[in-house]
Amino acid sequence: MKFLSVSKWFMVVLCMSGLLLQYGCAFKDIDKRLFVSAIGIDPAENVENGYKVTLKVALPFGAIKDSPKPSFAYLSREGHSIGEAIRMLETHVDKVLELGHMKTIVVHEKLLRDDMQSFMDYFIRRGDIELIAYVAGARPSAETILKVEPDTEAPASVSLINFFGATANDSPYVVTTYLFELRRDILSDGINAVVPLIETNEKGDELIVNNSVVVDGREDPAVLSTIETKYFNSLLKHSTGFTYLVKEGSLELLLQISQSKMTYKFVPNKGNTAPHAIDMHIWMKGTIGEASKDLSIARLDEYNEVASKEVKQKVVHFLTKMQEENLDPFGFGLRYRTTRLHTEDVFTSWQKAYPDIEFKVTVDVKLQGTGTIE
Amino acid sequence: MNMDEATRHIEPPAYYTRLATRLEPTADIVKKTLKSRGRVVHLLYLKSVVDMMQLQEIVVKPFYEMSAEQNFSEYIQSLPYETKMPTGDEEILIEITKGNVFVMIDKQITLLELKIVAANAVQEAIMEPTIHGPQLGLSESIETNINLMRQRYHKPSLVIEPMQLEDASNRNIALIYDGERVNLQLLKKIRKRILTLDVELVQASGDLQYYLNNKKYSLFPTSLLTERPDRILHNMAVGKVIILVDGSPHAIIAPTTFFDFMLSMEDAYYSFWVVSLIRFLRYAGLFTCIMLPSIYVGVTSYTPEVLRTELAMTVAASRIGVPYPSFIEVFFMLIFIELLTEASMRLPNSISATATTVGGLILGTAAVEAALTSNIMVIVVSLVAISTFVIPISEMNYAVRVCRFLLLLYTTVFGLAGMILGMLGLLLYLVNKDSFGEPYLRMFWKNRQEELKVDDS
Repeated sequence: MKFLSVSKWFMVVLCMSGLLLQYGCAFKDIDKRLFVSAIGIDPAENVENGYKVTLKVALPFGAIKDSPKPSFAYLSREGHSIGEAIRMLETHVDKVLELGHMKTIVVHEKLLRDDMQSFMDYFIRRGDIELIAYVAGARPSAETILKVEPDTEAPASVSLINFFGATANDSPYVVTTYLFELRRDILSDGINAVVPLIETNEKGDELIVNNSVVVDGREDPAVLSTIETKYFNSLLKHSTGFTYLVKEGSLELLLQISQSKMTYKFVPNKGNTAPHAIDMHIWMKGTIGEASKDLSIARLDEYNEVASKEVKQKVVHFLTKMQEENLDPFGFGLRYRTTRLHTEDVFTSWQKAYPDIEFKVTVDVKLQGTGTIE
Repeated sequence: MNMDEATRHIEPPAYYTRLATRLEPTADIVKKTLKSRGRVVHLLYLKSVVDMMQLQEIVVKPFYEMSAEQNFSEYIQSLPYETKMPTGDEEILIEITKGNVFVMIDKQITLLELKIVAANAVQEAIMEPTIHGPQLGLSESIETNINLMRQRYHKPSLVIEPMQLEDASNRNIALIYDGERVNLQLLKKIRKRILTLDVELVQASGDLQYYLNNKKYSLFPTSLLTERPDRILHNMAVGKVIILVDGSPHAIIAPTTFFDFMLSMEDAYYSFWVVSLIRFLRYAGLFTCIMLPSIYVGVTSYTPEVLRTELAMTVAASRIGVPYPSFIEVFFMLIFIELLTEASMRLPNSISATATTVGGLILGTAAVEAALTSNIMVIVVSLVAISTFVIPISEMNYAVRVCRFLLLLYTTVFGLAGMILGMLGLLLYLVNKDSFGEPYLRMFWKNRQEELKVDDS
């Protein structure tokens, strides 16, 4: 009897361990997967209203430390939709395409419009793509940008990821836009999404990110210049490392702003609910990083004043330019909508008011030192 | 005068003869009749367990020096060595085998405890060493151990309750507790469980602990085995019961919670922040050694997006050329490391170092070179092996080692979700478990005084 029970037990264990060997399709070893590190989307050349999808696949090989450069494989395919193209691309490789590590979506400059939401839908719905993926525009095309392999790229890492999110690069010229943010900004009234624009040099061995694109309905999206991108970033996203060149006569100062803060209020019309002006206040704190002359700490107030004046001028110029283009990257409209009592015409009244709104900007630069010890 | 000649004329009492015949076949039995000036004393003992010198000094010499028989009988009765006379022949015989000398003067019978114990040296604490705590553990003699307790715990309320097991060896055991602090219900329960034990042979505290557990298939220990007097007192002072077994250098502490097994006595000898850090490390080690192999399988084979991109690439790269799926790799390496641990434990110290080096370093590197495992796997397995040993009590250590295989099975089949499921199962099992009526996962949120009050009510 005892022998029987032991033999039964043995059989059970044997069967169970046999079952274990029949591991199913969910079990895929990590070396049977291909990690897609970035996706590029271009308008299709051969398919009407279609897209050309390019995948940048990171290839692991041998001892990572010994390999001088990361190695990538590129897969391209055109299709009516992104999902379709990716599905077909899965038949082009011997392993599973793993999108869990896909962190950057690079979109052709021309596709950065309000209607991009329709094709970006695929990324929102797919479970393994995280909503914190970065979205960036590409010039001249997403495929070219993906195929750039910068010299500074370390093995087992992807430059396109390091650029954004201030994990590695926190330059104020680089705007970071997450997938969820893009979707939210496109879907809400009163704000235009801003997406960084990735360019490359002529040799094609560098990635350059210092412009950005305001996503709007128009055919040719408005591109923010490098300076405007910097202002946008430091005013709205409080990005640090803001440098600013001040010129007055023969005096040239390069300010290094370590803290910046921007607040604004709507100034309402008398009797009318729509505002006629925006009262904006900017505080900045920093030191002088570079100067053309000897500086004196006693004259710090003077430098403050000069700097304030110049910053104010640049900000007003930027704001009015956006106003003229009827773009709203700062989300003034969104703020207006959320802080007013909701009525049916709250947004239409804003839309009417915005083109004529006046920007009253006060800038308060506070320099903490001349940057040297006297 | 020749002793044998003299005794030949005196017929030994029937009772004495009866006892002697029962012991007869053994060679170390000594039947002695002392006779002088008309006085007769019959001695019966086993010479292998009796201290001859003492016997000579205490019984034989005074017998010939005293004048009257009456005096000698009174003298024997006044000796501090006297043990309580049990009822029944069998019990008396057991006492004799324990090292008592049976003394018969006329109708008066006495048992004198003149035993000699060879193994009463206090041993060094090997399994639970501390740096600052007491360096010595228990001995293999129950008397010495009780002496150690008394020496450290001077309170009249310290109760030593001797018991005798009904097994083949009639082993002496003792319950030790602080009568003022112990939970009486618990005491009754433990006493009952010991008395109702139906076992062939108890050799040491280890198997007594197993029998006390009362369950055949039980993974986690419900009582704690220790060799440290300070741990014994630490537990006794909070009202627990200590069981000592003669011949075993370990004491059983009951009841215990899971957290008792995670306590090292070292914790009592360091400052608060140091202890906090050590405890944190210990619990981190516990979770590491249970979960790390499963995490490796779950993450590499089911959900690699959990890792950072760089790490995912590194792991993928290190797995290139490994022929088997990750779980077989992990099983293989875990069994390998278990073998290594087991082997180095059984070997003498001087050889075990070599075994570890050969096994751990050389074979590990060779396995990676031969692409049998990935080098990340070697890191995982070594981490697991090391963190197993931060669990201070070896029984819990073993239980945890078994647990991680079960968890690995779950993860292999169901991925990371399976790992969570397995952990949940483990938690349910532990919550459901009790040790002599105390919940196994009982948390002591209150301070000691308040806890004691709670127990009383």
